[in-house]
Amino acid sequence: MKYLDTFRTLAKHRRDEIVVTSAGNSGQAWWAATRDSEATFYLDASMSLSTMFSSGLALARPDLKIWAFMGDGAFCMNPGMLMVERQMNLPNLTHILVSNRVYGATSNADLPNYKDNDYAAIARSMGLERVFEFSDLQSLDHDLPDVVQGNAHGHTFVVLEVEPFSDAEQKLEQPPFDGPELKYRFGRHIEKRSGCEVFGYRL
Amino acid sequence: MTEKTPDIASRIADELASCGVKLVASLPDNWLMNVIKSVDQDDRFIHVPVNREESAIGLCSGAYMGAMGSAALMGASGFMTVIYAITKINYTYEIPLFLMLTLRGAAGDHHKHHISNGLYLRPVLDAINMPYLVIDNPDHISEISRSYRHTRTFSRPMAVLFTRDLLRGPHGGGGH
Repeated sequence: MKYLDTFRTLAKHRRDEIVVTSAGNSGQAWWAATRDSEATFYLDASMSLSTMFSSGLALARPDLKIWAFMGDGAFCMNPGMLMVERQMNLPNLTHILVSNRVYGATSNADLPNYKDNDYAAIARSMGLERVFEFSDLQSLDHDLPDVVQGNAHGHTFVVLEVEPFSDAEQKLEQPPFDGPELKYRFGRHIEKRSGCEVFGYRL
Repeated sequence: MTEKTPDIASRIADELASCGVKLVASLPDNWLMNVIKSVDQDDRFIHVPVNREESAIGLCSGAYMGAMGSAALMGASGFMTVIYAITKINYTYEIPLFLMLTLRGAAGDHHKHHISNGLYLRPVLDAINMPYLVIDNPDHISEISRSYRHTRTFSRPMAVLFTRDLLRGPHGGGGH
């Protein structure tokens, strides 16, 4: 699947999900596909922490459904995160692993063992039950709504096999936010949606 | 373990609860085991044992964005592995984070494998401008909630560092 086409398909099926992106490519592609400046936290270059960040958010706000993007470069840095995710088993969290078999944010450098890494099998070996894989857009477009309906049977893990960013995709704009602006945009959106108080005072 | 340490652990738990901490993410350190056990058995908290210290940073930061109070509990060695995560997430986005660490490698810690923490833990905290407070006396446990609240004002991380004397007593057992 082409990277950006995949993200446009994800965006097409998104309803009210809160989104957290991972380093580099997923943030660029999601920004290009949605221009979302409130309900997405563009967690830049956290080196594998996008789903842990999302797990904390999903735990705190069970009323919200969370999509957490992670590249397989980040996944390789910390696959043990799946043990924590399985243990928490949050039904409102969908971990979307974007597998392009390269370090996409750093000139598509090779991942270790990239030909043989079986991310779905790794997830199943850690006890995850809701594990799904997509490698063609037609299936993704058809089946995604059922997969991400949320609050169904616990934590969901989706593997998307995509092509590395093309030269044209590498030139996509980065989300243009400084950290504190993003924090407040996103936090105020969470407050509005949930009626909670993130920052200790409401506007 | 001395008879005193379970009381210290429950007082630390009470202090955390008093300032609204709900999520506690932990990695073990032998000095911290009574605190971890106390939190784990306490219905006021959701205790999440994590796979590595960076995961605790991610979890607690996300919980903050969902308006849930949290604390990350880890040893000094574990903290030394999380500098990038903290500078990237908590400094870049100005997300508060409350850490409870062990002051390993200080006088009273007779383990040579903590010499590096004795040498570098506090200089590293200073290097990233992270405020910290050493708690070495049961009378100072109330500083936990004061420090936690400071993270919310400061919009960045702060750590409290527990000494061996506090957690195991000045004549506590010879365990690790």
